[in-house]
Amino acid sequence: MKMLGLVFADEHDADISELTAKRTFAALPFGARYRIIDFFISNMTNSGIQNIGVVATTKYESLMGHVRYGGEWDLHRSKSGLTVLPPFSFFNGEMRYENVLEALQANISYIEKNTEPYILFTCCNAIGNIDYSAMLEQHIKTGARFTCLCTKHPVNKGSDLTTTEYVLDSDGRIKDIVIHNKVTPGAYVATNTYIMAREDLLDILQQSIDQNKTSLRNDILKPALDESLIMAYVTDEKLLYIDTVSSYLKSNLALLDGDTRRELFGQELRPIITRAGNSSPAFYGEGSVSTNSIIAAGSTIEGTVRNSIIFRNVHIKKGAIVENCVINQDCTIGENAVLNYAVLDKSVNINDKRLLSGYITHPFYVKKNSII
Amino acid sequence: MARKKKCIAMLLAGGQGSRLAPLTENVAKPAVPFGGRYRIIDFSLSNCVNSNIDTVGVLTQYQPLELNDYLGTGDPWDLNLNYGGLHVLPPYQASKGGDWFKGTANAIYQNQRFIANYDPDYILILSGDHIYKMNYDIMLQEHIDNGADCTIAVMDVPIEEASRFGIMSTDETGRITEFAEKPEHPKSTLASMGVYVFTTDKLMKYLEMDEQNPESDNDFGKNVIPAMLAGGEKLHAYLYKGYWRDVGTLSSYWSANMDTLGEEPELLLNDDGWRIYYRHDFHPPTYLGEHAKMSNCNCAAGNEIDGEVCDSVLGSNIIIEEGALVKDCVIMNNVTIEKGAVVEYAIIDRNVHIHADAKVGGNKESSELTVIAAGKEVF
Repeated sequence: MKMLGLVFADEHDADISELTAKRTFAALPFGARYRIIDFFISNMTNSGIQNIGVVATTKYESLMGHVRYGGEWDLHRSKSGLTVLPPFSFFNGEMRYENVLEALQANISYIEKNTEPYILFTCCNAIGNIDYSAMLEQHIKTGARFTCLCTKHPVNKGSDLTTTEYVLDSDGRIKDIVIHNKVTPGAYVATNTYIMAREDLLDILQQSIDQNKTSLRNDILKPALDESLIMAYVTDEKLLYIDTVSSYLKSNLALLDGDTRRELFGQELRPIITRAGNSSPAFYGEGSVSTNSIIAAGSTIEGTVRNSIIFRNVHIKKGAIVENCVINQDCTIGENAVLNYAVLDKSVNINDKRLLSGYITHPFYVKKNSII
Repeated sequence: MARKKKCIAMLLAGGQGSRLAPLTENVAKPAVPFGGRYRIIDFSLSNCVNSNIDTVGVLTQYQPLELNDYLGTGDPWDLNLNYGGLHVLPPYQASKGGDWFKGTANAIYQNQRFIANYDPDYILILSGDHIYKMNYDIMLQEHIDNGADCTIAVMDVPIEEASRFGIMSTDETGRITEFAEKPEHPKSTLASMGVYVFTTDKLMKYLEMDEQNPESDNDFGKNVIPAMLAGGEKLHAYLYKGYWRDVGTLSSYWSANMDTLGEEPELLLNDDGWRIYYRHDFHPPTYLGEHAKMSNCNCAAGNEIDGEVCDSVLGSNIIIEEGALVKDCVIMNNVTIEKGAVVEYAIIDRNVHIHADAKVGGNKESSELTVIAAGKEVF
């Protein structure tokens, strides 16, 4: 195999602290039956990667419970496969990595012991169906030292967070890396996804440890822009961002658009795979109404659902009205309850006749296991 | 270390299921889809694992390709074990020649070496073509408590239907005194469900005798059970009161699918206490469009529905366009129903394309059940 894959599961926990109170970012449920990690593992396996490390530092129980040995992705193999990399006492004894470079430094032994000539490493806050094998092909063809993924279509990127943008020349070489407070229209937005030669990365990591460097962007990439060929790989796919509760709602609801949905899930050779539950089919009762919604299996719909994403094993009782919501797994919505722009975490119980209303920019968020 | 299982199951999955044609044209009956996301065999297999039986031999013969693929290593049922687990047992050639399985009893006889690997005290014999949720462990316990040589699961059926079944007469202790296969004038209403627990030694003895008899059809119901009864062995009936259907005909297959619908369905699939496990194919969740209207239906994953669907069971990867109407139907995977088409009281097999404004079937009260075979186009 040509390329090793590494995913950083919790680089973005702090951005969306409500939803990541009990789980790492990569384990966030998304799109009625997935977790965010599914998109990254599926993209990697669809691109021919058979060896994947998932770097996790905290709250990784639900992540590990979800991916297990990677059997769903055919990664449960004897010679390669999926490895969750929890923190271990590394060079300076700190338990939590602050950024990508530190996470790489901490997992240097994993990178060392595998033999693939190339390595792909990525954060996981932007969801798309991305062909990493095309990115690798470009990397090899251009002879670049680094190839960095970026997009001109960042969808629902939270406006109050900083964004890293690449300035490119006409050949797609990165001339500058700039940081803005909000997305510049038409800019090449960086996704924190990189391909490079594995041996080269090991050299860089060893040096960075010796010289106490801590930022990939500022200490490694920026100083190398002139002397090394650092290329951008611009994906045409839309990338759905999840960095606030509002963008979590918006990016979920974006799946109601047929083109977005088909781009993400409808690529015949690049299916998005997730851990299977054993849910029965969804049941729609007499007199129920479900329009413009995505509804997962195991759910029972007796009330009204519009413009919403309903996860597995949700029960929406008679007379209840659910609009513009994301309802996570195992929730129950009582009779005649009315929900608008709400985000319900797992196993929430809404009693009869309750009224919950937020707005698209400020969704009504209800945390796991709550009873209202 | 000597290894041993208390009870193993032998699941008969080789029948052709000709009365289910065209659904069984290229697929063994146990692998026919059921209830939106299941195959018929999932019920027997799930019953086994839910009853703590972790060793299952599946005897295959007719059209085994899809069934074998579906079973795989048995992982969906947690039957991918190092010792025990799921084993597909096809007919085979041996040094003294080979043969197709001649009958249900002969199929077990030919697999004695598989059974010997586990040295079980008891053997559970099952069919792969029944839809039911049954705890075999309770039946096994009753078998042991009775000190029986064979226990046959029975259910009480209406007297007018009794002549379709193997009918048992019992004494007050539940011991079987008489057995008649499909009797013209049934003496009782206790019908065999085709589920047997045997004490291994006794089963082996009677299979050997059955094999020596050239007149025998090598069938459990016709030959082995009557022989045991004639030989004075202790046969007991175990009365089962739950849901059980033989889905051997198109109309019984359709009805059993419909039994999964309603607010309190006769056959509850969403049952945390008795999960039915199945092998997944990976589809995104179902999308319901602006014009979708769903009433009293079950719907699996990967569907794009913008039409009206009522009183129906839908599989996966189905497209139903705006203005199409589907009523009283079982629709299997990969079916497209275009704009304005009306599909009523029908079974639509996989990969069927129903074009715009086509009419399939008719009113449930006044027409016959319509079946569209796999891969057909309807204009």
